[in-house]
Parts: sequence; structure tokens; C-alpha cells
Amino acid sequence: MTMLAETMAVAGFQLRRMLTPQRVVIGLLGAVFPAAVLLAARRIGGQLDRNFAVLLVHALIPEAICMLGLLVTMCPAVADELERGTWAYVATRPRGRRALLLGTYVAAVAWTCGVALIAVVLALAAAGVSGGGGLAAMFGGLVLLSAVGRGALFALPAVVVPKRALVASVGVAIVVEYLAGFLPAIVNQVTVSLRLRSLLVSWMDWRRQLPVEFSMILDPNPAWVQIGAVIVLAGVLLAAAVLILERRQFPPADES
Amino acid sequence: MIEVIDLVKHYRAADGTVVRAVDGVSLEVRPGEMVGLLGANGAGKTTTMRVLATLLRPTTGTARIAGCDVRTHPIGARRHLGYVSATTGVPDRLTPREILRSYGRIHGLGPDVLEDRVEKLVGVLDLRSCADRPCGRLSSGQRQRVSLGRALVHDPQALVLDEPTSALDVMGSRDLLDFLVTLRSQGHAILLSTHRLHETERRCDRFVIIDAGKVVAQGTREALAAGRPGGLEEAFFAAVARPAPAEVVP
Repeated sequence: MTMLAETMAVAGFQLRRMLTPQRVVIGLLGAVFPAAVLLAARRIGGQLDRNFAVLLVHALIPEAICMLGLLVTMCPAVADELERGTWAYVATRPRGRRALLLGTYVAAVAWTCGVALIAVVLALAAAGVSGGGGLAAMFGGLVLLSAVGRGALFALPAVVVPKRALVASVGVAIVVEYLAGFLPAIVNQVTVSLRLRSLLVSWMDWRRQLPVEFSMILDPNPAWVQIGAVIVLAGVLLAAAVLILERRQFPPADES
Repeated sequence: MIEVIDLVKHYRAADGTVVRAVDGVSLEVRPGEMVGLLGANGAGKTTTMRVLATLLRPTTGTARIAGCDVRTHPIGARRHLGYVSATTGVPDRLTPREILRSYGRIHGLGPDVLEDRVEKLVGVLDLRSCADRPCGRLSSGQRQRVSLGRALVHDPQALVLDEPTSALDVMGSRDLLDFLVTLRSQGHAILLSTHRLHETERRCDRFVIIDAGKVVAQGTREALAAGRPGGLEEAFFAAVARPAPAEVVP
């Protein structure tokens, strides 16, 4: 209970710090951008095919907006803590290190989900497709899983190389999520992108319509396995990040 | 309350050589005592304090806060510790009240205790006029007081303060040190590093002088300065084996 309260205290603290005018503007742009793309597509091609619109929303929001949202929140928050010397003040609290990491994670996930959920509502309205309520619920789930899984993924570079966290996280995103995630090999099992893709195909009931080659970049297991895999992956990554942070030392040179 | 016994801390430098930042330091600060840790830049003061603050692990030796070994019981040590680093690290966008509340919550203080504690600190640290103003708009003295308040929010018995007056002007420095004297009289054990000998020499009960990672002298001001017309400053220069600066005659 205390750990949860301490984590939420850090999350509240980080959310207040995140509410800078620049970040609010970036968030608004992120929320509006997918809708603008869909409106542009409709303007060029007329009424959008429902499946094409869903695919586009998936690529733009759970994949792109969530990834970018986490990149501009999780990594800078940790790097900023270190560079401004505030990390030392949290690290000297009884369970401060893990509260700092988990609180920052909760704040980054909350911020990203907020922006992405607004983007989903606007994008579905702009797409003008049928069954918007059901699609919104489905994308809500995908957004939450994307933020939970990738936030944990970005926690590792944030603690391993805090001063280069953003660059390292972009590298991780490209290599792990977009290269390994699309490899038809066992390595894609530990990526969030495989789980999200498989869930999308399952929830949209697309599996029978897809060419057989696509089965190599999809997981055939039911939805609960995909959801469970993301949660387990996030748990393992966060535990590793906490362990590294607990063992990390803060020499005086780190503060200058 | 604060104990350091034969503390050794080595770093491996980028070129592979081992830097002996702290090399067998021992010191003690008892409850109701304020001890000044003196030394030139790079003498090992900050490293010693960071080991006490559980930010660094000792290579060998022991460091304890309120009986809790920083290596084996870091959580216990942190519970009794208030730490101020040379960098204030106060977020610009948050107000002093918000910062004190946040750190109190991180310490697990309940809402009633927390509000009471925050208001008390805002009062004693003279932050009432700026308690709801973002820290980015505060003076360096006010920011330093917020930093100290953050260290005191859980009412720790041991305070480890690394150059807390470095960013302050003469008035701010005097007020802060007077406040520390009050805390000492309430039974807090305070270890304070500083370069400003003249400000601390009448306020600290004892001094520990370190040079190149080793304790080269320690004792009361009177004992260290005995027989030296230049007082504590001359004793400091003698201990670190450097000549005292010559007096400039106009």
C-alpha cells in the first residue's frame, strides 16, 4: 500500500512537471494529426473502406502516437531528473528509486493514453466509418496495451543510459519493435507490435481473409494470451529497470 | 547518529586507472552536534556524503545513519536521513508547497501529518511569501531553503548537507546557518560540508578536515586553531599542507 502511495505521489509530481505549454501543444498536435490524415485521405479518395480506415488508425495511433508520446515523456522525465540533480533527492528516500521509476512510468502511460484516446475519438469521427463505438473500445484497449508495453520497454534505456535515453529509446523502438517485431522468427514473440497486430486481426475477425503469408507475422493464440504476454513483458522489463536502478550509483560527476 | 568507519571509495576512471576518492575516512556526528567537513575541491567530501546518502556504495568500510548500515540497510538509513546536495535540483514549474507535499508523500506521510509538516516548514524556512509561486521565479536563497525543506519534510534525525550555502549571499547564508543551529539544538545530528570557514567556524561544534581522501585533522575549532594566529583558516591550510595565502597590503 505504501509503495503504491509513493508511486502515485511520484506520478502526480511528474504529471504536474509534464504539463508544460510546449508539451500540451505537442499533445494537441498528436491528438489532431491522425484525424487530419484520415480527413485528407477522405478528401482524396472519397468514402474510406472500413478495413483500410481501421488499419490506418492502428498504424497512426497505437503504433505511432503511443510510441512518440512515450518517447517525449518517459525518457526526458528520467534524463531531466538526472541532469537537474533532482534524482538524488528522490533516490535518498526509503523506496525512492523504484517509486521514481514506477511513478514516472505511470505518468508517461497516463499522459500517452490521454493523448492517444482523444486521437482515437477524433480519428474515428474523421474516418466516418460504421460501428464507431465498438472500434473506439477496441482501439482504447490497443492504446492501453501499447502504452503499458512500450513504456516499460523505454524504461530500460532511461535507466541504463539516462543521458542518451531518447536516442537509445528511438534505437530500441526501431530495432525491437519495427525490425524484430516484423521478423517471422521466434524473436518477434517478445515484441509489443506482434501482440497488438495479432489482437487487431483477432478483434476485427480478419484472420480468414488474410493471405497465408501473413500468419508468419501474427500470433495464432487467443486474445487473452496476447494481453497476458504484454503485461508479463511489461512486468519483466520494469523489474529489470528497477533492479538496475536500485544498483545504480550516483557519483558526483553525474550531477554536473 | 552519523558514523563513518574506515570508509574507502574507489572509482574506475575512463582510462582504467583507479581513483581513490575516499581512502580510510572515519568520523562521527552525535545527536545535537553540528560537524563541519572541510577540504579542497576533490578532497573526498562529496563522495563521503554521497556514501552516507546511499547514492554510492562504499568499496570497503562502514557508514551508518541512526545505526543502519548504508550498504546492508539502505532503506532504514534513508528513513532517518535528510540530504541536500550541492545542486538544489528544484523543479522550476512547481511551487515550494507542491514540492514539499510531493516529497512528504514519497516518504509515506499521511495527509494530516503532511499538511501540518508542510505549513510548519513554510513558516520556519520563511517561505510564506513565495510558497505558491513556481520555483523558477524564486531567488537562489529561496530555492536553497526549498531544497532544505525537502530534506526536512519527514523530520529526519540526521542531516547530511553538501555545501548548502554555496549559492547564497551573505544574508541568506547566515539565515540558513542560524536555522541549522536551531535544528542542532533540537537534537539533530548535522554533517555539513563547506568552503566558507568564516561562516561556519563559530557555529560548528567540531571540524573534520580531509585531503586527498584522508582525514588529516579533526577536533573543535579551539583545538585545531590553538597557537595559530590565523585561527581555523590557518589550521586548515596547515592540515592540507598548503601555505596560507599572504595578506595583501595596499
